Amino acid sequence: MEIITGLANGFAVALEPANLFWCFVGVFLGTVVGILPGLGPPATVAMLLPLTFNMNPAGAIIMMAGIYYGAKYGGSTTSILLNVPGESASVVTCLDGYQMARKGRAGAALGIAAIASFVAGTVGVLGLMLVAPPLAKFALSFSSPEYFGLMALGLAMVVLLAGRSMVKALLAALVGLWIGSAGTDLFTTTSRFTFGQMELLSGIDFVVVAIGIFALGEVLSNIESREEAQLLPAPKGLKNLLPTVQDLKDCRFAFFNGSVLGFLVGVLPGAGSTIASFLSYGVEKAVSRRPEQFGTGVIEGVAAPEGANNSETGGALVPLLTLGIPGSGTTAILLAALVLWGFKPGPLFIPENPALFWGLVASMYIGNVMLLVLNLPLVPLFAQVLKTPAYILYPLILGVSMVGVFSVSGSTFDLALLMAFGLLGYLMRKLDYPSAPLILSLALGAGMERALRQSLMMSEGSVSILVSRPMSAVMLSLAVLVLMIPLFGRFNAWRLRALEQ
Amino acid sequence: MNMRYGVLVLAVTAGMSAPAAVLAQGFKPTRPVELVVHTGPGGGSDVLARAIAAMVEKEKLLPVRMQVINKSGGAGAVASAYLAEKKGDPHTIGLFTGVWLTTPLTSAEAKVTLKDLTPIVRLVLEPAVIAVKADAPYKTLADFIDAAKKDPGQLKQSGGSVTSRDNVVRQLLQKATGTRWAFVSFPGGGERIAALLGGHVNMMVIEPEEAGEHIRAGNMRLLAQVSETRLRSYPNVPTLKEAGFDVPVVPQVRGVVAPPGIPKENVEYWEDFFRKLTRTPSWQKYISDNQFEDGYQNAADLAKFYDEFTGRMREILKDAGIKTVR
Repeated sequence: MEIITGLANGFAVALEPANLFWCFVGVFLGTVVGILPGLGPPATVAMLLPLTFNMNPAGAIIMMAGIYYGAKYGGSTTSILLNVPGESASVVTCLDGYQMARKGRAGAALGIAAIASFVAGTVGVLGLMLVAPPLAKFALSFSSPEYFGLMALGLAMVVLLAGRSMVKALLAALVGLWIGSAGTDLFTTTSRFTFGQMELLSGIDFVVVAIGIFALGEVLSNIESREEAQLLPAPKGLKNLLPTVQDLKDCRFAFFNGSVLGFLVGVLPGAGSTIASFLSYGVEKAVSRRPEQFGTGVIEGVAAPEGANNSETGGALVPLLTLGIPGSGTTAILLAALVLWGFKPGPLFIPENPALFWGLVASMYIGNVMLLVLNLPLVPLFAQVLKTPAYILYPLILGVSMVGVFSVSGSTFDLALLMAFGLLGYLMRKLDYPSAPLILSLALGAGMERALRQSLMMSEGSVSILVSRPMSAVMLSLAVLVLMIPLFGRFNAWRLRALEQ
Repeated sequence: MNMRYGVLVLAVTAGMSAPAAVLAQGFKPTRPVELVVHTGPGGGSDVLARAIAAMVEKEKLLPVRMQVINKSGGAGAVASAYLAEKKGDPHTIGLFTGVWLTTPLTSAEAKVTLKDLTPIVRLVLEPAVIAVKADAPYKTLADFIDAAKKDPGQLKQSGGSVTSRDNVVRQLLQKATGTRWAFVSFPGGGERIAALLGGHVNMMVIEPEEAGEHIRAGNMRLLAQVSETRLRSYPNVPTLKEAGFDVPVVPQVRGVVAPPGIPKENVEYWEDFFRKLTRTPSWQKYISDNQFEDGYQNAADLAKFYDEFTGRMREILKDAGIKTVR
């Protein structure tokens, strides 16, 4: 009952013309910065923050949140069309999204990304509305040992991302872990793999590696085949411009998986949307009836991570709004913003500002609809980008990638790194090493190492802390199970062969 | 009023060094001023820098625009190296924090210290408070120390990196009382609070503004405050000294530096500019909203402060078993 009156009041706030306008501005800006690689929601929200000082706080928070979840919609666009991840959470979308585009189904991929984002984004808001307080308690019970379990589970997904050769996949994963370990160690301030370069003291930015390996690697290896005038076939016919009914059917589970996993991971302050998207992709592949086709352009491989990425937003707002604890990135800036607007984010924020909270929730429902309406018609338009001849598109990708990287750090060293990783990506393609395991272990490695060391500090060096806490024990067992999936596959193949004989 | 005061200051400094001060009245930024920060958009310094830029606009303190430039990476080293490269440039200044001071102490790669740049002003001091979970058995800091004495190494504190103020406070308290407890580093502030509220650690050093709401909601309790005098918002919480622990109060600082080799009149211009800024109502409101302390210090005092700070830091790091390289 309370929820219904709350929501009714919320819609009254969100539907005020001014707030409706700010909501639209937010989601529109979000879509734009999501499309631009490098420039992600944290940067945008931070840069626009000063403009909101004199705004009505309800309008301001509605707009800022709009940028946050709007950017998640846009992030998939360049992943699918150009293999350039728009932001870190869209890296997974490259895996199947770009392959779909290569098959001439860019429109379907973009369409399903928008639809999955809408479904999961809405589920995320539902979660935020219905179960925020109890879930916040659950999030607090999570600490380093549980994070270690979660990340170990995520890392175990490497075996699912392997292409033909498991050895090559594991090697790529090790390189990812190595890259992730560069920088200053948090616990001892020792420099690791910095080679005397001060730029490396804070480690290597995930986005630089991802853009280098995916986008530049792709461009470099495509340049070899000169005769092709176009990078990718432009989609033809309505069937390839938007997802078909069959596509939607294929994605039924992906919608559910992405929504739920994304939301749950989002609630945990130490996880983040990159992990959410990788996990849901792994789960999708693990339960799929056609796991062998993942990575060749299956539509649920786009829907699941895109969904997770979007419902993560609703999840991440849970600890922020109910406890005043930001997970990372954008929510930390939103916290600073709430303070600047004169609020006191914390456990009493919602009870004391019900109109604002419900206004935000209602605006997020509205914003998600706006985003769907905004994004779906854009799909055929964006798909036309692929008609651009290669001799224009390649330099364009190169330029967009460089601007994207430079806009975040302002460092020319990062540009050199980008080139180096582009070369690595090219070599990996040539030698048939899969890039997904590298990216996955890079995304998880540093956090996993931290969680392990934190756990051991908590237990005075006893490893038993990892298995004596039920949740971490469950997740570690799941990780072991995932690691054994390929063995089952091999066993099955052997059994079938034995049967045939 | 502010304007007149500024002119007065210029007049006084003019009396001390006549030729330079004549020029000082002449120096005015002629192109957009770069305010360099060491974090990406959204980091602590970045938020402050953008707030400053907005205030400058609102109060019309500069004839030109102020742009925030993010030079992230290297835990402050990239930004300070960028400033060092801008030798003699009067249109670039940087917003420094404690990491600009500590990173060069522990990382050989970070070659630029504050000494190699031109100190301008210290702007704010961020006090801290020592917090435990509301249902913790410790009512006072002495209770906590006693518990730590009983079970050496069993109690835990969540905090940032080992060079952070959190750990410095711990080291000083441990040394003064001969106790030992564990320090668990978390990169994000949110994770540190979550670890305390979830009961995974026993204590943390936290910024007063961050703690406020958790205390009001009855989830957190304060044992002491890391400041010289009691904060306005916590009149009933003893300072470290009042709680019976006479250890130096280590402030978290934020301030402004300029590239090396800029003329004296430019230093004076910026000194005066930031003095004016700190007198504006917008600034006063900003620091009281964030519960910062006004830590204004001019260039000469800031240079002195730097020596004190790094000297003490070096000792603390040695006690903590961390190698210093400078």
